[in-house]
Amino acid sequence: MLTLTYMKRKENMKAYLFLLPSLALAATFLFYPLMKAFASSFLTISQSGKILGFAGFKNYTKLFSDSGFRNAALNTIKFIIFFVPLNTVLTLLAATLTRKKRKGTAIAEFIFASPIVISLSAYALIFKEMFRGRISIINRIFSSEINWLSDKVPAMFVLVFLGVFLDFGLDYLLLTSAFRSTDKNIIDAAKIDGADDRKIYFSIELPLIKRMLSATIFLALKDAIMISSPVIILTEGGPFRSTETIMFYYYIEAFKSGNRAVQNTLSVLMTLIFILSMAIYSRRRSGNEKRT
Amino acid sequence: MIGGNMKKTLSIIAILLMAALSLFANGQKEDNEKKTIVVWHCNTGVTGEAFDKIVESFNNGIGKEYGIEIDAIYQGKANDVLTKVKASDEDSLPDIAQMDATAAIDMNYSEYLALASDLPISTDAFLDSALSAYRSEKGLLALPFNASSLLFYYNKTLFDSLSLSVPKTLEEFAAIAPMLGQKSGDSVTRYAFAGVPTTYELTTFIGSQNGLSYIVDNKNGHTGTPTEVLFGKEGTYKEFLTKWKALYDTGYVGNITSGVSTEFASGRTASMLASSSNLTTVISSVDGAFEVGVAPVPMVNENATGGTAIGGGGLFAFNDHDNTVAVLEYLTSAEVQRFWAEATGYFPINKGTYESEEYLSFIEENPLFNIAPEYAMSSNPLLTNVWLPSAYQIYYSFQANIQKVTAENMNIDDAINEMVGVIEDALDSYAEQNIN
Repeated sequence: MLTLTYMKRKENMKAYLFLLPSLALAATFLFYPLMKAFASSFLTISQSGKILGFAGFKNYTKLFSDSGFRNAALNTIKFIIFFVPLNTVLTLLAATLTRKKRKGTAIAEFIFASPIVISLSAYALIFKEMFRGRISIINRIFSSEINWLSDKVPAMFVLVFLGVFLDFGLDYLLLTSAFRSTDKNIIDAAKIDGADDRKIYFSIELPLIKRMLSATIFLALKDAIMISSPVIILTEGGPFRSTETIMFYYYIEAFKSGNRAVQNTLSVLMTLIFILSMAIYSRRRSGNEKRT
Repeated sequence: MIGGNMKKTLSIIAILLMAALSLFANGQKEDNEKKTIVVWHCNTGVTGEAFDKIVESFNNGIGKEYGIEIDAIYQGKANDVLTKVKASDEDSLPDIAQMDATAAIDMNYSEYLALASDLPISTDAFLDSALSAYRSEKGLLALPFNASSLLFYYNKTLFDSLSLSVPKTLEEFAAIAPMLGQKSGDSVTRYAFAGVPTTYELTTFIGSQNGLSYIVDNKNGHTGTPTEVLFGKEGTYKEFLTKWKALYDTGYVGNITSGVSTEFASGRTASMLASSSNLTTVISSVDGAFEVGVAPVPMVNENATGGTAIGGGGLFAFNDHDNTVAVLEYLTSAEVQRFWAEATGYFPINKGTYESEEYLSFIEENPLFNIAPEYAMSSNPLLTNVWLPSAYQIYYSFQANIQKVTAENMNIDDAINEMVGVIEDALDSYAEQNIN
């Protein structure tokens, strides 16, 4: 008995030792700054970092009463509403259509997965060129006269489209691999029992990839909440602040203008939102597991 | 007891950690000799090429004599240079950084900045209005280098074909806008004007009123942190919005915030407002499709005689080493400023350039390049660009505000209150974080 617990403890020790570097990194670069931001969000701090006094909740009330922040929060919600469903439907559709390996699916796979290999900023710049002005490439192709990036609605549309494009490759790969790793025996059995393709897809395949699907939805949600770089490059929050998202607001106000109050309060808020959505997600996940 | 494997693992971890830590210890060694002067700049495209040539000719000429070399590093837009400067300390700062007015408010409080007024450089030869762009209560923050002014760019071929002359006021502009514009059915195929004014343009539209007006107090923030917004109570923003709305209501103003020069070059707008520094780029992108004209910005009304503020950028120094000073002197010299102006459209900040025969014959052949310096020199030298905290938010807010008044018919007084509110909120939180 004694030796067994000793052995077990030794094993545990080993595990912790292996974890140590990541824990140390996480502590210095994540937990410590986070705690510091949390504490600082209740203080008034000068741009050069001097503590000027205790602020209570003032930094928070100020943030919520700031028209720029409220506008950014609203735009982020708008983006989430358009982006998450569209992204999910399109990637699921592409993965569904190419889930079975046939002749030629390799070409489709290559095309669908290719967005993954080019960097985000490169795509954002390409989009910016394609949609620039009334004589844009897109307008020439479709002989339209839309001011894509100068009108509010089309600009949001282009941003959502870019977002889908950026996430498409990874989500597609995850979903097709999920489809392909499902147990073929179950499908074969269902076929023998006389189930048609539709029935097999909706009652067997889709439920089997549900976990991966919810993972991609969660990833999409995360990307939507955090979206900043595409905004910075493509629209700069414009036209007329209509595509300013929370993280873009953070970028211009906290990062560019050095507003410490916004820096700290917004960091804390965004972390809270993440912990919350992570919690909901993992609860749902474990709930699903219990049911299956 | 730790086994052999464990030891190996631990030592690997230790090595990796040390390697990671060494990444953070790459500070530059103190170099008392300072043979290399590092300059962070923001010049790209045509101006980037011109700047490279200036550096090259230093390194192959005077630099060789003195044994100094300029190491010019492109760091993105002027504001990106500022972001990097703000993230740097003594060890990682360049010797000189080229930044614009948005840097002023930060540099004014920087502990690393070497005030240009403390450097052993005589500023007698510099244009006074170019210097005033960098004057704060502490002294001169930077030396002007790439000076520019706002200009009215117009399609001269079109104006000539309609026998129209350049509008002097916004009212005159509104009167001719329907002639300049073109419609097919309901959609406008050619605007009379494209673009939405924001902080930069408003410094001129508001600043020129009544001979001299400011956006915020303390002379637009130059003599101290601004504490209140002036354009509201002085009625200058109202005057502008009223006239601008009338121009918009002709139906030929395109509220476009991106790609305006593309629209201009493709003949889809008869005019636009842009910095004189774009002159070379605009002419080359129009590529002879029509003749480009530039002129002073139409005035808000007859009393708006203050002219325009000098924009562009300056050179901020972070030490007063002799070699840094030598490079600054070189970059602002009459000869370099002449080359720079001819290549870009920025105008010379050194009075000596205006006396050089080469420059005089250049502007005789290229009269467009002389509009900006003439316009700037005839302007009120007290009219300066504005130094504001939260400059980006305010920049985008102005555009959104003008869009609401023009395209969405917001009541002008409500719009003014909204805009005053935005800026006063920014001033308040800045004051709270910095004055207490």
